[in-house]
Amino acid sequence: MTVLQNDRRTTGTDPDAVDVELAVSGDAAAFERLYHRHVNRVHGLARWLLGEDDLDDALQDVFIRVWEKLHTFKGQSAFATWLHRLATNVILRRREVRRTHEVRSSGPAAALERAAAGRTSPGLGIDLEAAVDALPEKAREVFVLHDVVGYKHEEIADQLGISAGTSRSQLHHARMALRQYFEV
Amino acid sequence: MTDSWTERLSDYLDDELTLGERAALDAHLAGCATCRDDLARLGRVRSWAAGYEGSAPRTDPWPGIRRALGRREPQADTVPLAARRRRRTVRLGAPLALAASLVFATVSGVTWWVARATAPARTAPTADAMAVRAAASVTLHAAESYGVAIGELERALVDRPERLDSTTVRVLREKLASIDAAIAEALDALAQDPASGYLADHFADLMRRKLSLLRNVASTASFES
Repeated sequence: MTVLQNDRRTTGTDPDAVDVELAVSGDAAAFERLYHRHVNRVHGLARWLLGEDDLDDALQDVFIRVWEKLHTFKGQSAFATWLHRLATNVILRRREVRRTHEVRSSGPAAALERAAAGRTSPGLGIDLEAAVDALPEKAREVFVLHDVVGYKHEEIADQLGISAGTSRSQLHHARMALRQYFEV
Repeated sequence: MTDSWTERLSDYLDDELTLGERAALDAHLAGCATCRDDLARLGRVRSWAAGYEGSAPRTDPWPGIRRALGRREPQADTVPLAARRRRRTVRLGAPLALAASLVFATVSGVTWWVARATAPARTAPTADAMAVRAAASVTLHAAESYGVAIGELERALVDRPERLDSTTVRVLREKLASIDAAIAEALDALAQDPASGYLADHFADLMRRKLSLLRNVASTASFES
């Protein structure tokens, strides 16, 4: 008899853990709460990795996938970590299929200069978001995957089809471009 | 301005240098204000990215997601939203009616207790009391969510009963009686000490266990029926 087994433990005080458990049982309101708590960050990731085109469709894809895979979340990491990795996979796969990613810059060097020169107010989030947006594609992807999502260079290398050394180098160049926004 | 060490600053920041490389860069940093400045700024870039909160979509995609989920087939133990109640249509028979009434009483008790524990104090609260109340309210929200879900599930079990085997019913009755007794005890204790974080956690845990138990039974029954 397996009826009384599978008594998964969650803490009583983590709203994500509670809502994940309720959502897995089919509670739409719990899933909507999860969505509203995390949609902004997923939207930011998607915008940086995909651009503005099809952004709504991409977000929809991500959260449908989350719904389908929610039962596989076992709580070994924070829900946000699990979600961001799943979202990244969906977004990158979508981009592979689409293969019409807009070329945003005339060249890596020019884009790095533009990202560094676009500063208006030190430390202002909106300026930094625009600066990340203006980075060359590969530098932007590596920066987002490493510093925002938390992937290791070896994982990024697998995801993007580059070497770990290239990932390190791109990350450094992205950070150097963005450092202009911060006073010491 | 850059020098040969500048390229290694990110690796230094991420602790990806060998001990020898790190020691050499430490020595360089001691005498290079530019690299120290860059290193500090790179650290702030990394911190900003780690704490990035995102940006709101121009239009909320939730309505589209909600519609899509309603059409989606479940995988493993997920359930399409539109079919939630249908899947939980199981028949447990009369013995569970008593347990159901206990659940309704429990849910009512939760609601009463949440209202009491989170109600504004008549006198100005201390900072500690406010912190305790804030922490407790999160737990209470969880407990209340469990209570609502338990009530829904129990109603489905009682309103449209199917048959489960007698062993399942017997074990379920014993388990429910045990958990309900513990819940009643926890509610009594919370009535005496509504601000206790420990009791709130304990209570939420009991409610979660009861929900898990009922969900497993309902899920199994739906496969058996």
